[in-house]
Amino acid sequence: MLPWAPLALTSVTAALLAIPVTPALYELWKRGDASPLPTSRHDGRITNFADVLRTRLEPLRPELGRCRTEHEVSRASLAGMEILLVGKDNFSFDSPQIHGISTLMFGDAARIPAGKVVDADVYAEGPIELGKGSVLRAALGRDDVILGENSTVLRWLHGDGNLYLRPGSTVYGRVSADRSIRLERACAFQHMHAPHILTIDSDDTRALPTADAHVCAARKDLEEDADGRVTGDMFTSSRPRLRVEGDFALPPGETLNANVIATGEVHIGRGARLLGGAKSYKDTVVDEEACVHGSIVCGGTVWLGPRTFAAGPVMAESDVLIARGARIGSPDAPTTISSSGVNIAAGCQLHGTVWARVRGSIEA
Amino acid sequence: MDLFCTTLLLICIYTLRHYFFTFNRLFGKQRHPYVDLESAAWPEITVLIAAHNEEAVVADIMKALIEADYPRDKMTIIPVNDRSTDRTREIIDAFAEQHPSIDPFHRVGGKPGKAAALKDAMTLVKTEVVLIFDADYIPGKALLRQLVAPFFDPEIGAVMGRVVPLNVGKKCLTRLLDLERSGGYQVDQQARMNLHLVPQYGGTVAGVRKSALAEIGGWNENALAEDTDLTYRLLIAGWKTAYENRAECYEEVPERWPVRVRQITRWAKGHNQAMVSYIARTAKCSGLGWFERIDGLLLLGVYLMGPVLLLGWLLAVVLFYTGAPIGGGLAVLALGAFTTLGNFAAFFEIAAAARLDGSRQRIRLLPLTLFGFTVSLISVSHAAWQQVYESTVGNFFGNNELVWDKTERSRTAPVLDDALSHSAPVLRESL
Repeated sequence: MLPWAPLALTSVTAALLAIPVTPALYELWKRGDASPLPTSRHDGRITNFADVLRTRLEPLRPELGRCRTEHEVSRASLAGMEILLVGKDNFSFDSPQIHGISTLMFGDAARIPAGKVVDADVYAEGPIELGKGSVLRAALGRDDVILGENSTVLRWLHGDGNLYLRPGSTVYGRVSADRSIRLERACAFQHMHAPHILTIDSDDTRALPTADAHVCAARKDLEEDADGRVTGDMFTSSRPRLRVEGDFALPPGETLNANVIATGEVHIGRGARLLGGAKSYKDTVVDEEACVHGSIVCGGTVWLGPRTFAAGPVMAESDVLIARGARIGSPDAPTTISSSGVNIAAGCQLHGTVWARVRGSIEA
Repeated sequence: MDLFCTTLLLICIYTLRHYFFTFNRLFGKQRHPYVDLESAAWPEITVLIAAHNEEAVVADIMKALIEADYPRDKMTIIPVNDRSTDRTREIIDAFAEQHPSIDPFHRVGGKPGKAAALKDAMTLVKTEVVLIFDADYIPGKALLRQLVAPFFDPEIGAVMGRVVPLNVGKKCLTRLLDLERSGGYQVDQQARMNLHLVPQYGGTVAGVRKSALAEIGGWNENALAEDTDLTYRLLIAGWKTAYENRAECYEEVPERWPVRVRQITRWAKGHNQAMVSYIARTAKCSGLGWFERIDGLLLLGVYLMGPVLLLGWLLAVVLFYTGAPIGGGLAVLALGAFTTLGNFAAFFEIAAAARLDGSRQRIRLLPLTLFGFTVSLISVSHAAWQQVYESTVGNFFGNNELVWDKTERSRTAPVLDDALSHSAPVLRESL
């Protein structure tokens, strides 16, 4: 045996062992990725983007006011953003001034011409109006916002007043309003929130939400008084739990005070009332004029029939289909609809958040 | 030889289980059914903070909870100060004076242990939803809503959030534990949630429905691991545990190996105790689906895989030298699958978790996890041996005197601001 053979074998073996741990030892030494994983600090508020833009632009409002008074357009830079302050009414979106701008700040109303594509965020002290077929990146309106037919907002949209979505308009990402959102036929959305969300099929887009409470909500209040306990409370420990292997059906017109869990389908019959929540591993069907005072949790598709009422959250792993006249949540107790797809007929009133992870649409 | 084959079979089953979870997490359909819940009639809740001599950390969690994004009038915070002998009481009372939502519970006697302390504290709880934190955790603003959201599902009895180590960069050990936690939560727990199996209630960053707890007889003060105990009692009673991967919360992991060894030994003993108590009832429970039942049984046995693996190695050596056939590549593969041990994430789970978390450089530490696994292997095997030994000399499982065997804290001053500065707001990037 050659005298250097043991040394060579030892060296080669050591090298082979060292190869896989070298990057590890390097990382231990350099500490390139040694900080804690970032946890989400997102508070879940849909208006966050709008709030951040509002806060960032706040220092420019006096200057915007001056532009408005003097009917002029000026350019400003703020925190890496190139901003155009528009104080005149007849601003042309074909103007070369718009080149390289990330945010357009209007001192009063902003009117996007039909067919125009605006690759910038828009802020307006007054109403925002999108012409037919126009496209906008994102917008914050301090008043009402009106989306014309077949117009599109690509990232987010918030209005301090009301939002009107004309037929065929689409809002990707977040859409929110401090007062109401009214959607006409064939509109599409993903994530929206407002105290009142109305789907309408008339030309009267200024229609107000119906002030009267749904018949079920009124009956719920009466029952609470008569029973002397809070049956409408979704988190009461006194409500029994009814677990069913297979399908569950609540016959038409009957009332049940229980939380229902079914490994099959849940079917709430016409005019029936479920005072608790319903959980189904498969589909859930709520027939015409039936009411669910708790939550609806579903492993499949939820179908809410005409003039139904659901007080609590509606969470489906597949789709939520809402028929004409249904009402979900109430102005004083907004709630959430969450699923992969949401399809809403005209004539519905929703209160709170609708989150369609893939696509939400209004019936054409 | 039969024993050797059984050992190989068990190792193969657990290896396949971990691969299945990893592939599900990487390529399967992900379930986060409650994460979108924004608007709701949020219920009144009680937050219990388990604290025993926690003067170094208790201020951080109370400050974080006070700043949490949850309706003020619907939240009561009860720091459960269990017979602390340091300044814990003084710190809690100072906070309580300033914040009416804090209602301290100072326990001066009774049975030792976290479960016993929580059991006593439950007499003060008036709400249906109860959230539980250990004192060294630092919840983010949105965490409470995220933990409460699953309770709108009437089938959910308990909720578990994700634990994220805070003191990662301190030592080699903390970096290894960070990887292990990532694999365990990001892949293992979430895969079980995806597949409708048995996510585990972890006892902190967690919540429980009061009526469900009452139905199963409350906290088991004789349980060494009250979290595993609760998971199985709820499961057998028809309640589900939900895992919320995005309900993330910082924790402090052990910085010294002896502390880690004590921690893992305690977990192993508690888990094994739960296995003895619930394995038969889980196997016979009629309300469980087959996959759920199998996963429940496998989860109960995870800490037994340590001694099983050691036994397999020993048998392989003995059989080899006695000339008995020990099989070919499959046997070698099975015996090399050391990462099926316990709830410690397998190396491929850790790699998948690091990818999912978007942390690319820490994955370089993967080869060093072998060292951590070896320590854990020996610790849990020793724990199992101790339990067998104690049972044979008359001290049956669970009959030992319970103590607050809490993990040593290395934090000496509040770190809340530092911790949160690492988390860049999502919205800023998105804008």
